[in-house]
Amino acid sequence: MSDKQHTVVERIKLASDGLRGSLTASLKDELTGAIREDDQTLIKFHGMYQQDDRDRREERSEKRLEWLYSFMIRLRLPGGFMTGEQWLGLHHIAGEHATEVIKITTRQTIQLHGILKSHIKPTLRSFDTLKLDSIAACGDVNRNVTCSSHPMESPIHQQVFEYADKISLMALPKTRSYYEIWLDHEPLLSKEEEIDPLYQDRYLPRKFKIAIAIPPNNDVDAFSNDIALIAIIENNELKGFNIAAGGGLGTTHGNSSTYPRLATVLGFCDTEEKVLKAVYEIITIQRDHGDRTDRKRARLKYTIDRLGVDHFKEELERRCGFELEEARPYAFTKRVDHFGWHPGPGGKWHYTAFVETGRVTDDKRASFKTAFYEVAATGKASFRFTANQNVIVSDVDEADKALVHTILERYGVVAVTESSGEMRKNAIACVAFNTCPLALAEAQRYLPTLITRLEPILEKHGVINDAISIRMTGCPNGCGRPTLSEIGLIGTGYGKYNLHLGGDRNGLRLNRKYKENLEEPEILSELDGLIGAYSREQQSGESFGDFVIRKSIV
Amino acid sequence: MIPEIKLNILQELISTSSKEEIIWINGYLNGLVSGHGGQVTAGGHGGADNAQPVKKISILYGTETGNSKKLALHFTASARQHGLNARCTALEQYRHEDLAREGYLFVIISTQGEGEPPETAEKFYDFLHTTETRLENLNYSVLALGDSSYPLFCKTGEDVDLQFQRLGAKRVVPIQKCDVDFDQPAELWFKSVFDLFKDANSPRDHAPQPIVRNGEAKKHAKKNIDGVITRSVNLNDKDSTRRTWHIEIRANEDIEYEVGDSIAIIPSNRHEVVERIIELGKANPDEQVTLAKSSGTVRELLTGKLNICYLLGSAVKKYAALAGHEIPDIRMDLVDLLRIYPLKDGTSFSEVLGILHPIAPRLYSVSSSPKMEPREVHITVSLNGFLKEDEQHYGLCSSFLGDLPVNTVISFYVHRNRSFKLPDPARDIIMVGPGTGIAPFRGFLQERDVEAATGRNWLFFGERNFTSDFFYQTEIQQYHQTGVLQKVNVAFSRDTDKKVYVQHRMKEHGEDLFEWLERGAVFYVAGSKVPMSHEVEETLLEIIVEHGRKSAAEAKDYLEHMKKEGRYQKDVY
Repeated sequence: MSDKQHTVVERIKLASDGLRGSLTASLKDELTGAIREDDQTLIKFHGMYQQDDRDRREERSEKRLEWLYSFMIRLRLPGGFMTGEQWLGLHHIAGEHATEVIKITTRQTIQLHGILKSHIKPTLRSFDTLKLDSIAACGDVNRNVTCSSHPMESPIHQQVFEYADKISLMALPKTRSYYEIWLDHEPLLSKEEEIDPLYQDRYLPRKFKIAIAIPPNNDVDAFSNDIALIAIIENNELKGFNIAAGGGLGTTHGNSSTYPRLATVLGFCDTEEKVLKAVYEIITIQRDHGDRTDRKRARLKYTIDRLGVDHFKEELERRCGFELEEARPYAFTKRVDHFGWHPGPGGKWHYTAFVETGRVTDDKRASFKTAFYEVAATGKASFRFTANQNVIVSDVDEADKALVHTILERYGVVAVTESSGEMRKNAIACVAFNTCPLALAEAQRYLPTLITRLEPILEKHGVINDAISIRMTGCPNGCGRPTLSEIGLIGTGYGKYNLHLGGDRNGLRLNRKYKENLEEPEILSELDGLIGAYSREQQSGESFGDFVIRKSIV
Repeated sequence: MIPEIKLNILQELISTSSKEEIIWINGYLNGLVSGHGGQVTAGGHGGADNAQPVKKISILYGTETGNSKKLALHFTASARQHGLNARCTALEQYRHEDLAREGYLFVIISTQGEGEPPETAEKFYDFLHTTETRLENLNYSVLALGDSSYPLFCKTGEDVDLQFQRLGAKRVVPIQKCDVDFDQPAELWFKSVFDLFKDANSPRDHAPQPIVRNGEAKKHAKKNIDGVITRSVNLNDKDSTRRTWHIEIRANEDIEYEVGDSIAIIPSNRHEVVERIIELGKANPDEQVTLAKSSGTVRELLTGKLNICYLLGSAVKKYAALAGHEIPDIRMDLVDLLRIYPLKDGTSFSEVLGILHPIAPRLYSVSSSPKMEPREVHITVSLNGFLKEDEQHYGLCSSFLGDLPVNTVISFYVHRNRSFKLPDPARDIIMVGPGTGIAPFRGFLQERDVEAATGRNWLFFGERNFTSDFFYQTEIQQYHQTGVLQKVNVAFSRDTDKKVYVQHRMKEHGEDLFEWLERGAVFYVAGSKVPMSHEVEETLLEIIVEHGRKSAAEAKDYLEHMKKEGRYQKDVY
């Protein structure tokens, strides 16, 4: 490894002067809606991606216009929580500077698309007035920390949830560049304040994701993360966390040295101090040992496999200065969002609304955006986002429940949530076309249609109420966690997907590739046959994913 | 710039010199200017003894992530430093029929996912695989980008190479495949390409060029040329409030024109209006008619020769006499006259034709340089301008040029504009061309580029919206990146609450602008006369006052002096 050259991205990070690069000059360039190439890497660390409308490339080139560049801004929103006031502000920002659509991501945060270069600063300034930021929401750093979303998961949900914020702050880059570039703060007099013992000037070799789960619900897909913290709660008391490391689902087509991997449970820590220390040192090991010569093999999962789990754990304990205790028993028995009204701790009520592919907007069927806006305007609710891209209208007093419900009902939110099929409600699709630069195939624009075509098949075989998990991504990078589903569709080219089968329903077993490069008619006919067999030969309580494994179909 | 007496001597010298002599003088003077004294020797800058035409090469790129483009731009800039006349085009903008005309072609192209071409190169890729056009005169090479972690590494580049082989083209440098770290192998390939031309082109051999640009010596007779529209593109994006066309016209001969000239096109009348006139006038559309200035069938005359829109009062009067009606003294379309005041039975329709005036030609500033492609002329046409003019003069009878399909043959002639010309290549120029005012400056830039002019170029452009109305944006970016344009400033009036126009940008850069003027830059303004050109002039005066520390009167004198020297030129309408 040492004789190989570091990647270009490594050079850019090192030379970036605290992630500043030439971003200020890029913003001023009148001739283009894009930013300079190196800055396109750096802007990720500020929570943004440069994208362009890929549907329009050819037409615009013909017109001698450059591609239609715009930016996606993703918020840092630990645990996926927002006040009603913040939602109101977000609503206006989405209309004024972005495409109107508020997109809930698969990692419990919000992203806005279609923001022109000249609108970035006004957008971030508006977020700042709402005490929201996008620092480290993308890039080779610890990204948004996720946490089991629903307060009903535990009477001490709030206590666990607060860890998301603690970890996020602990692993935040120390550079002030975000404030200088986007919010026009004065530059620091001394760079001493910026010295970053965690990231140094190299940051991490690759993106880094952390999730916190409260068993028995694995709604955050804990094991798909670089670090998973599993809350151990006994008699409504937080005992500590089991710590797992080395998860990650992204692969590269045709590169057999890349693979999805679930996080390995390393042990248990009891105190907050120890938990945070362990998390911190896992990050430093990855910082020091991750492969900086090949971005396709740079995630922590490869580092752990290269060092060996035992060796990795020894190194972790050496850096921590304490040993991890033996992992405590736990069980994940579901991976669900609790749709509709449910009571949580403290007599508060929560309504989980089904938001298909996480796109909050007003359309023919329902006006989610208006509904949430009006709910927020009452000042009687806050908002939580789930890792399955749904919205929990949250923390509503018993007395206000009827009022909030009336609004949700008036704009069709309740009807959509109640009438949507089980498969649809458990489905995930990534963004893909037309803005994601990595997309090879459609995902969020297509999965709803595919499900509509699958539903008659489910109906025919009598399994329409079976919440078979289906997930689709436009490329093998795994943003929609397709390898942790019973039916995974991973784009290989326009209109073509690899069909993966055999994941379990709770996110504990990876699926396997069943067939390659299928187009829609083949996908439908394959699933028709398989689901027919499942319906006829299913054993009691057996999920579709378990069935295909038992039958050795994959 | 030069006293009249000296100019006269120079012009006399030139008028009595042969073309070869002028070329020699040019080389001699170039040598003087660039500090070689009078000793212009073979192989020197612009040496007269070996004045060779600059080798033309075409560079095409197909890109998905921008890497191929980056390399292509870098390659183009280096090629120019090597004295080559390099033209760089994105594959999606390349006209396939031009392939047969290329001498040297270099393709830089990446491979996507499962061995597929970049989306923007698909059309070219498919064309190469299906065409049967022989390319025996084509010399080419391919630089292929890819990622070796995919099984079909550099497949697209290989395919392109293979297809050129199939079509009989000559591979002059072997295909170079590059992995994700492409810089070094790409440099090697560039070097191999430049080695091809090492003997042919010593650095910066300038193409032979006339030494005096202002005041064309030759008299040109107005010559009608038939050209075919080879490309017609609406430059505005779909959500724009504007409609502006870029139109390319190709002739079978070299078109004698210079940058800054216009072409005159006779607009044809709308088919449906012509047919309605024939019906109302009970005319035989195929009858041959000979008039004072033109002849043809009735339909031909009504379509392409005679004005039928918004007839002059004198014509209406004649019609009234012919038809025997009392008609008020107003201007009207012929079709309305025929409808409201029908002809008497038995009136010969050729008498009506005799009343009509010929269609007035419309002038369009040329937006190309003949040095780029001598048989082509490009124009930039705004529908908004057309409509404005149309309401005033023509009604809505004539067809808009932008609506004509590709392959339509149109007749045009070159209209000289002697007072809007480039200076010598060493002189700086400032171009202010908002809206379709950009047209002549696109021609200027092409020419300064082809000639590798040493003078600096500064462009001001303005329109409504950045994302939809930035005319020739990718070309301007490329000129900026390859160092042809030193400075570009743009103003988009509808993007912000406060309306910003070109003159505001001029003001912001006033200090620099004045310094350019002091160093002898020529200042050009093109586009709408009112209010744009007036506001630009006012701003220019303000800049001279502020940065030249002059009184208002002195600034006026300064500008007058510039005008006299030919350093303040306008093409406004």
